[in-house]
Amino acid sequence: MLLSPAILALIGVSITVTALLLLAAVFAVRVLRRWDIHSGSELQLQLERSTYLISTLVTFAIAAEVVALLLFVYNAEAMHTQFVGAMCATGALNANAWGWPALLLKIAVFFIGGIWLLVNRLDNQGYDYPLIRRKYALLLLLLPLVATSAVVQLIYFLELNPDVITSCCGSLFSADAQGVAAEMSSVAPRDAMFALYGSAVLVLGSGGFYLWRRRAAALFAASAAVAFPIALVAIISCIALYVYEHPHHHCPFCILKSGHSYIGYALYLPLFLATLFALGAGVVAPWRKIPSLAQAVSNDAPRYAALALVGFVLFYSIASLAILRSNLSMAGTWW
Amino acid sequence: MIRLEAVNKIFNQGRPNEFCAVRDVTLDLYAEHATVLRGPSGSGKTTLLAMIGCLSRPTSGRIFLAEKNLSGLPERFMTEVRRKTFGFIFQRFNLIQGLNVLENVLLPAYPLAPDHAELQQRGMNLLEQFDMATKAHAKVEWLSGGEAQRAAICRALLNDPQILIADEPTANLDTHLAQEFMRNIGKLKAAGRTILLTSHDPMVAEADCVDRVITMRDGQIQEDRYVA
Repeated sequence: MLLSPAILALIGVSITVTALLLLAAVFAVRVLRRWDIHSGSELQLQLERSTYLISTLVTFAIAAEVVALLLFVYNAEAMHTQFVGAMCATGALNANAWGWPALLLKIAVFFIGGIWLLVNRLDNQGYDYPLIRRKYALLLLLLPLVATSAVVQLIYFLELNPDVITSCCGSLFSADAQGVAAEMSSVAPRDAMFALYGSAVLVLGSGGFYLWRRRAAALFAASAAVAFPIALVAIISCIALYVYEHPHHHCPFCILKSGHSYIGYALYLPLFLATLFALGAGVVAPWRKIPSLAQAVSNDAPRYAALALVGFVLFYSIASLAILRSNLSMAGTWW
Repeated sequence: MIRLEAVNKIFNQGRPNEFCAVRDVTLDLYAEHATVLRGPSGSGKTTLLAMIGCLSRPTSGRIFLAEKNLSGLPERFMTEVRRKTFGFIFQRFNLIQGLNVLENVLLPAYPLAPDHAELQQRGMNLLEQFDMATKAHAKVEWLSGGEAQRAAICRALLNDPQILIADEPTANLDTHLAQEFMRNIGKLKAAGRTILLTSHDPMVAEADCVDRVITMRDGQIQEDRYVA
């Protein structure tokens, strides 16, 4: 199983990224301890000369890790045929105890790594390295996460055993089962839809307000942070059911299949990217008060907010269309 | 205007052929002055000029341009300062053969991608100012030494730099052309530009337009003299 090209690529990326971040962490510690922009010492000038190279390497590394989330999900979906009992990525992730933690860690790396990329982009636009300590401190926080993700992913792949019978999505995402997946599945579709459209109003409203008045970026980011899990719950509790046209099939991965026109990718990609950009707008906006960043923030933060809004509008539109165009009718039962 | 604080430049640091080209230079250079750095070959004047002009960075020490820390700027900002603040005239003028005079003069503006018609007009205005308009479409390999020198000055002035840097500009010129070059430098200084020159040609240091002569030896300032 390890000889699968996708698995080799994922392991290769995670090991390379961890190694690069380890090297960058040594530099980060030097920056945090010794950086002094007012000094003309040889060490300070060395740090100044090296930081652009190091941050460029880390940028490529984290960008690869961000893309690796997509490959990880695609691979889980693609290899489910090799496990007895698996019908989609859920079965592949359930094949041992490490599958779900590996996915959750990859999602965490996606968001924290993505925010690091946006902070680094902003810092590179300031002539006096205004965020250098913050971005390397964030890098030191990111390193253990990336390393843990790499180790957990490696254990997951090493312990995959095709002879072990795994659970299918029908048993995991069932209102009658135990665990987080079951609890998400058991949320009443009506409640999930109210929460989904309520959070849509909140996130689109706060994003629109930010674009209009250039204020309350933190509220927009917080709204996106709330809207994201609600959207995931709504997919499992209700939207997926309309896609499958089956009132009891809650799987969040079967919607990635060709039989459902890969609609899952059309839902998840805008949702994940929109959430990342909304968080990015919230993280970036407060630094407009730093003189060397004022112009960059006034360019970037509204751009991220606009991208986030486009992503959320796409997600809510596709989700709504999936429900409206479905042959499943639950009027009188759910509504 | 330009302040150097304890600037050092070491090449091949940590290797057997380590060489310290500039040692602990602290200096203030003033706006609208013509300053000459002079000294024998290997005295560090070109290295110092390259660091002031953002062509290289010190190993240690700081260089400030009107309180802005030049030597600490990230490369993309340094490029912008270099492009907008400094005009360079090189020892052999470094005109690109195969291009005509006007094309050579316009080269420094290409990365900024300005309106081409406006740019051409700007180039022609400069060539007219230095009596080179009739040579605008001549290949640079056809130019005489004096014409090449004036073409190089026009190219250095295209982005309207505040500071003009010339490295050994008269090294390949005869006395007549060297005097003509210094007359042009005098006009540019009178127009409000700051001039920095390196030369070991006594005629440059003794020119009327020069305000200050700094003598260097072994990477250090040996003498700093204001000309009355």
